[in-house]
Amino acid sequence: MSPGPVVTDKEPHITNSSRSLVFLLVRGAAIWAIPLLVVTGIILTWLYRSTTYRSFDDPLVSAVTAIIASAETSGGDLVLTREPLDPRYSRALSGRYWLVGNLRKDGTIKTLMSSRSLYGAEIKLTGSDVSRLMLSQGEEIRARTRGPDENEIIRLVARQVILPNMNNEAVIVMAAADSRPAARSVRTFAFTALGLMLLITAGLIIAIVTQVRTGLRPLFDLQDKIADVRQGRAAQVDGQYPREIQPLASELNSLIAHNKNVVERARTHVGNLAHALKTPLAVLQNEAKVTDSEFSGIVGRQTDLMKNQVDHHLRRARAAARGQSIGVSTPVGETLEGLLRTMERIYRDKKIDFDIDLPDDLFFRGEKRDLEEMAGNLMDNGCKWTAGRLRVTAQRDPEADDKFIILVSDDGPGMDEEQFSEAIKRGARLDEATPGTGFGLAIVDDLAKAYNGSLSLSHADMGGLQVKMTLPRRT
Amino acid sequence: MRILVVEDDADLSRQLKNALKDEGYAVDAAADGEEGHFLGDTEPYDAVVLDLGLPLIDGVSVLQKWRADGKAFPVLILTARDQWSEKVAGFDAGADDYLTKPFHTEELMARLRALLRRAAGHTTDTIDIGDLSVDNRSARAFVSGMSIKLTSHEFRLLSYMASHRDRVISRTELVEHIYDQDFDRDSNTIEVFVGRLRRKIGTNRIETVRGLGYRLMDPDESKAK
Repeated sequence: MSPGPVVTDKEPHITNSSRSLVFLLVRGAAIWAIPLLVVTGIILTWLYRSTTYRSFDDPLVSAVTAIIASAETSGGDLVLTREPLDPRYSRALSGRYWLVGNLRKDGTIKTLMSSRSLYGAEIKLTGSDVSRLMLSQGEEIRARTRGPDENEIIRLVARQVILPNMNNEAVIVMAAADSRPAARSVRTFAFTALGLMLLITAGLIIAIVTQVRTGLRPLFDLQDKIADVRQGRAAQVDGQYPREIQPLASELNSLIAHNKNVVERARTHVGNLAHALKTPLAVLQNEAKVTDSEFSGIVGRQTDLMKNQVDHHLRRARAAARGQSIGVSTPVGETLEGLLRTMERIYRDKKIDFDIDLPDDLFFRGEKRDLEEMAGNLMDNGCKWTAGRLRVTAQRDPEADDKFIILVSDDGPGMDEEQFSEAIKRGARLDEATPGTGFGLAIVDDLAKAYNGSLSLSHADMGGLQVKMTLPRRT
Repeated sequence: MRILVVEDDADLSRQLKNALKDEGYAVDAAADGEEGHFLGDTEPYDAVVLDLGLPLIDGVSVLQKWRADGKAFPVLILTARDQWSEKVAGFDAGADDYLTKPFHTEELMARLRALLRRAAGHTTDTIDIGDLSVDNRSARAFVSGMSIKLTSHEFRLLSYMASHRDRVISRTELVEHIYDQDFDRDSNTIEVFVGRLRRKIGTNRIETVRGLGYRLMDPDESKAK
């Protein structure tokens, strides 16, 4: 019979991720939202640019068509019967130009006639633009080049055509305009779109964070409720949760209830076992004393051994159920006062002067019967050894906010420092003269450890032993 | 002194009954909570030995009912439940002492004597009335240091009267406290016992108060008065 703590076959593998769920959800949303916004910005700018340059090119195409339509040869010279109407073609370096010329062998264009706005300057095309023009078969091409003003970037529309009475010699007709205002407009639009997209991105991130936090609020509520249960402030996970989380809350409550049932069943079983074993032992022990024979002596000694074994294993079985309960807390002052009433009655003949200091607002994070078992053993030990005074105090642990301390001091004979660790060992009894099983301090130590607490012995101010027990506190 | 033992284990109950009788007590036994409660409620016991894990009604409930009904006899809980939470519950229900099984009979007897002694307002097991000494521990009596041979009924009578010295005790009360319930009670036999006791300890120690009963007293003290 060696019941130990229940363990699962496989240890759970849970690692604590430093990333929060909110961070993961916001990052997930940002991963698709930000590129989408960037692409939207680029497409919008591209559409605006296309529209702007189409509008820009339309008058130039009209001008080229008009020039071709009104070009004639007169006396071997090329003349226009009607010049384009836009007055800017007549104003020097106005930014609007037309030109009719033919291609030299070196690839440059020889001006046959041009708008006055060109002021005698030529329009130079790059080699690739000339090639495109040669291959265009009369279709218009669009190109960019420098204008007569060196700072000027012009955009031009050009066609290569064969005019009547020109001996089948191809001429190039082109119209051009300063493109800087259009480029500025496109740039302004691009910057505006970029700003707008950044604004939308910021707004979107704020909206996502808000939405995620709102959406996850039931989870945060659940987290708080679980913390309450862990701290012993609540017995189960209360509240209403969305359909997706409700099963989790219900399962948690089932788990808590199941845990309580298992612990309770284990305790009942141990209690029944104690009753079932100890009464027959008492009968055997008493029966053995009726006669003074060798047989009686053997029965007496063996029942004593059995009693010790039963005590030892029942305590181990009880210990297995300790520290397992969650969602419970116990008022320290009230519990210790109950124990003091009991001690006063058990030791009434000793007339012990109990000096107690127990705050009302201290709660043990665990079962009442466990606190009673630990503090009861300490106080019982103190009562056995005291010469007449026993001090019991409880206070918060100044070194750990989630712990509290119970101090039990007596004015008895105390013990040497070398005996301190020996006294806590299981089954150790330093003096056989005082009644007791010798399990007292060892049981307290086992129990305190099950609750992540501790037990330590020292010399009391009043001369005897001081036992300090540290246990978890409900915060 | 009359003791009630409420214990469901027949062997243990028998052992307790025998051990208590050997100590000079009149003993009644009940095997379940219901019978135990009834006996405690209707008979005037000097002390009760009560198990907690009883059939029908558990021991703590029985004790609570007695205390609620104003029964003040001392109760010693004798149980296998050795947890402090159970001890606190037992004492809070009105127990006067608590002993866990398995136990030594000597310890049970010592505790029972202490309870009876406290209930009668004495500090030791030996009650001295002048040169008469009644030792409840050894169930013996002495006059001027000389041991007196007494039967168990005579000792019970003397012990009860010594525990309630200077008080007039009726025949009925004496019958109730020195006989167990199975005994054929006849108050006339009390007169016989008192007569025998007077012969053994001295005629002037037990005064007959006509129509009321008997009183144990110190003859030297009463002379001085």
